[in-house]
Amino acid sequence: MARLEDIPEATRIAAAELPCPSFDTTPFVAGPKLAKRRVAIISSAGLLRRGARPFVKPLHDGEGECRAVPSTWNARDILLSHASVNFDRTGFQRDMNVVFPIDRLRDLAAAGEIGSVAETHFTFIPVADPTPAGIADEMAAALHSDRVDGVILVPI
Amino acid sequence: MAHMLEERGLPTTVLALVLPQVEKTRPPRAVATPFMLGRPVGEPGDAAFQLRVLKRALLLLERKDGPVILEHFPDDPPGMYDRPGWLPAVKIPEPVSPRDAAAWAAALRAEMALVQPAWDRFKARFGRTTVGLSDQPPDVWPDFAASFLDGALPSLPLHHTPAVALRFAADDVKALYGEAAQADGGPPSPHQIDEWFWCRTVAGRFLIALRSVALASPNATMKVVGARFLVPRQYVPS
Repeated sequence: MARLEDIPEATRIAAAELPCPSFDTTPFVAGPKLAKRRVAIISSAGLLRRGARPFVKPLHDGEGECRAVPSTWNARDILLSHASVNFDRTGFQRDMNVVFPIDRLRDLAAAGEIGSVAETHFTFIPVADPTPAGIADEMAAALHSDRVDGVILVPI
Repeated sequence: MAHMLEERGLPTTVLALVLPQVEKTRPPRAVATPFMLGRPVGEPGDAAFQLRVLKRALLLLERKDGPVILEHFPDDPPGMYDRPGWLPAVKIPEPVSPRDAAAWAAALRAEMALVQPAWDRFKARFGRTTVGLSDQPPDVWPDFAASFLDGALPSLPLHHTPAVALRFAADDVKALYGEAAQADGGPPSPHQIDEWFWCRTVAGRFLIALRSVALASPNATMKVVGARFLVPRQYVPS
């Protein structure tokens, strides 16, 4: 885990005691070997393209948004607008992949360890409530349309 | 989100930074990691380490022993520890605490002029900058931010409200200094960069002063920005 003992007390308490959703079901979808899978990233870092308006609202009760992050974006144009001031940004400053590991997925695809990298990934800023169903529906439809069969969620 | 996507037929795996949260939400597959908040894939600039992390999470997609799988990544990223002997790539004098808005703007402008060469080296070395949330060039920031100290509520074209504009201008100041500090040599720890910025720069002191003004503002959104988005808790003066 993020070493809770290294996190300032107020942030530590907030992180450890954050109310989290619970679910009545435990879905578990099978698929092919990893070397055949098409993989997409979902990031809670509020990534945006330079010049776009940063994220302000988290996903909550119908507000907030989830945006697409095309694989074609240049790393120079990708900014981060995650809300928390208590999270490190200096890693992302130095290397985007510590938050959005798109180059590492490309490495894995080139090595044959995954099948391919999705054309479109997704980003939002997080909230404690369950993801609004409409957002999940839209994201799932887009990922299925892109033939994605492996999603790695990278919460910041 | 993992649960909801899995319900919709998409196999998911999660890199989990906070163990209590992943234990409560029970996603289909997750790797709990010992990394700091803000660095979910572990170590910037270390592709081998990042690949180990990703493979650990992605290989869970092949497992058949669900419906809830939780593993633990065992290794600390090397950059979480302070680098012995590290000094920031910027040499600046001991910061002052000016007495009025115009003096704050002048002090920040002067300090940014000293920081600029290191920032330029960072951009040349790493090929990018994360500055840009305010959508304004750095020479705009000192006067823009200082006017809040005088009780004004200026805005910026990209943002809905003055408070949001201030929030993202502050983020840009922090990004510029964070990048400048890392321009040369091996990576410092995040703690080293934070200690330098918040304790030894005019910019850090300026944001702390802005926090106080924002908290005292009659504008509700300014209060929220002051309370939550300007200064990390451990650097708020007691």
